Amino acid sequence: MRLKPDAQSIFAGLMFMAFAAVMLWLNTDHPIGTARRMGPGYMPMLAFWILGGLGVAILAGGLFSGPDPIGRFAWRDLGLILAAMVVFGLLVERLGFVVSISLCVVVASLAEKRVRPLRIAGLVAFLLALCWVLFIWYLDIRIPVFPWSR
Amino acid sequence: MELLSNLSFGFGVALTLQNLGACLVGALLGTAIGVLPGIGPVATISLLLPLTFGMSSTTAIIMLAGIYYGAQYGGSTTSILMNLPGEVSSVITALDGYQMARNGQAGPALAVAALGSFFAGSVATLLVAASGPLLTAVALSFGPADYFSLMFLGLIVSAVLTEGNVLKSIAMMVAGVGLGLVGTDVQTGQQRFTFGIPELSDGIGFAPMAMGMFGVAEIIRNLEMPEVRDALKTKITRLWLNVEEWKRVAGPVLRATALGSVVGILPGGGAALASMGAYTLERRISRNKHLFGKGAIEGVAAPESANNAAAQTSFIPLLTLGIPANAVMALMVGALIIQGIQPGPRMIEAQPELFWGLIASMWVGNLMLVVINLPLIGMWVRLLKVPYDLMYPAILVFCVIGVYSLNNNTFDVFVTVVFGFLGYLFSKIGCPPAPMLIGFVLGPMMEEHLRRAMLLSRGDPMVFVERPISASLLGLALLAVIAMALPSIRRGKDQALAS
Repeated sequence: MRLKPDAQSIFAGLMFMAFAAVMLWLNTDHPIGTARRMGPGYMPMLAFWILGGLGVAILAGGLFSGPDPIGRFAWRDLGLILAAMVVFGLLVERLGFVVSISLCVVVASLAEKRVRPLRIAGLVAFLLALCWVLFIWYLDIRIPVFPWSR
Repeated sequence: MELLSNLSFGFGVALTLQNLGACLVGALLGTAIGVLPGIGPVATISLLLPLTFGMSSTTAIIMLAGIYYGAQYGGSTTSILMNLPGEVSSVITALDGYQMARNGQAGPALAVAALGSFFAGSVATLLVAASGPLLTAVALSFGPADYFSLMFLGLIVSAVLTEGNVLKSIAMMVAGVGLGLVGTDVQTGQQRFTFGIPELSDGIGFAPMAMGMFGVAEIIRNLEMPEVRDALKTKITRLWLNVEEWKRVAGPVLRATALGSVVGILPGGGAALASMGAYTLERRISRNKHLFGKGAIEGVAAPESANNAAAQTSFIPLLTLGIPANAVMALMVGALIIQGIQPGPRMIEAQPELFWGLIASMWVGNLMLVVINLPLIGMWVRLLKVPYDLMYPAILVFCVIGVYSLNNNTFDVFVTVVFGFLGYLFSKIGCPPAPMLIGFVLGPMMEEHLRRAMLLSRGDPMVFVERPISASLLGLALLAVIAMALPSIRRGKDQALAS
């Protein structure tokens, strides 16, 4: 068989193997027990050994099934969307609902190729109103609204 | 006659004002997300989980179920009118549906999609009602070893039937099982893989995981793809069928209903697979073979009936055995557990209003959907005019607030961020996320049954092959793996699932 590496499968295989290895190492803290009386470490041991084996098989298969390159990562979109969520997570309890949602929407909107400030401002206003009605008024979730309302 | 009295009890539950409202909300939302590409039932249901906290369990499940089958109706609309399938299960509908619309037959195409779905949904609902109690009786004779093997079979079949590389699907599923074990071990109280983080002692949150992998990752994937959205050019006339069309679709609808009902019950089956199967079948046996791909009404009737039938019957394994057949059903398990109900064979007895109420509501919901979809079609088409740059921040905001409000804890938000990243990464390396979610839900249950089985057998693993039920289930799992390893079948599956 000719070697035709498939980057997707090789990466996936390595990922599963690494994950299994880390978890198996962490699992050494848990008593395995016996097959009759399984300890907390028994099922993780089974699952992660199988996962490691599957990782090896995927990696080995990936050496011949290519070429299947990994597509480019949209780092900008990825980063901004995740950053928007992190911003919300960090600020919601400190500065409240209004500030954290506004910033979350603004950061997420930056992922669009053409940034239109007025449009984003409108969206922020609309979403604040909608979320207030839905989550604060209707569902009554415990979340501070303004930075000073704690 | 017990069935009739049970059904009338169910209608009593489903027709209360509160449950009718929940059903309508679910059906409307389902139609909306079915129409919109880029947000599917899995993301929507996980988004709405927090909304269901204040509801009774029956109301909550009625609403969430409505979203799932509602999406099957909505998905057909944009497939037919714009060649833009909103859901995977409607990809096939676009083949002939869009051609019909181009030939000026958008009306009959939409009508047959809705009416076929309604017929299939009604039949499948009856099937759920009839088979539920029967299967429950069987399930009660299951021992722990049988349960373990059943879940094993479910996992294998659902991994095998997922699109793409089988090994990767199985690995994702096993990784999901492993992630499901994070948290406190129920039998010994030992903390596993928690790194001393108190939030992890209850395990990784189910909703943050689902929302990250299906909601957030989907947004990022949509952003990187250029937007292709055509305005509606076709005019819709005659939203009904003439006599000849009725005759042409009767057979396909009946066959597709039967096929869809069976496929829906299979673990890993579900709506998408059913619509592919039904279309392929009709293309092979229809008298109008030559019209397929050029606007054959049979090619719309079959997949649309099949996907709706499957959407209903995929509730059977969940309601009778407590085992989710696909990612949406895995979410339903999550929703039930949040409500304090352990899904399983005792559920029908312990929660009759939930089981029969849900079944009755499915029928009511299907009826609502015909009305929602046919006369109001224009409204849904207009929904597509909302540009994506206004839609995705809204989805994201709902995601974060929803996740936060689960436990009023920002930790869940960060878990969602992690799974959002992972979901995107998985899509780049060809690893499907759905098996991971199913494995995650089944992992802890499998561990429990494995432990019990091995305790009863005094540590002898032969118990899994000595018990006839368990042995036959494991045999089926083996068959599934072997069948998929055969190249000809694998090619067929990839063709069918290529979307």
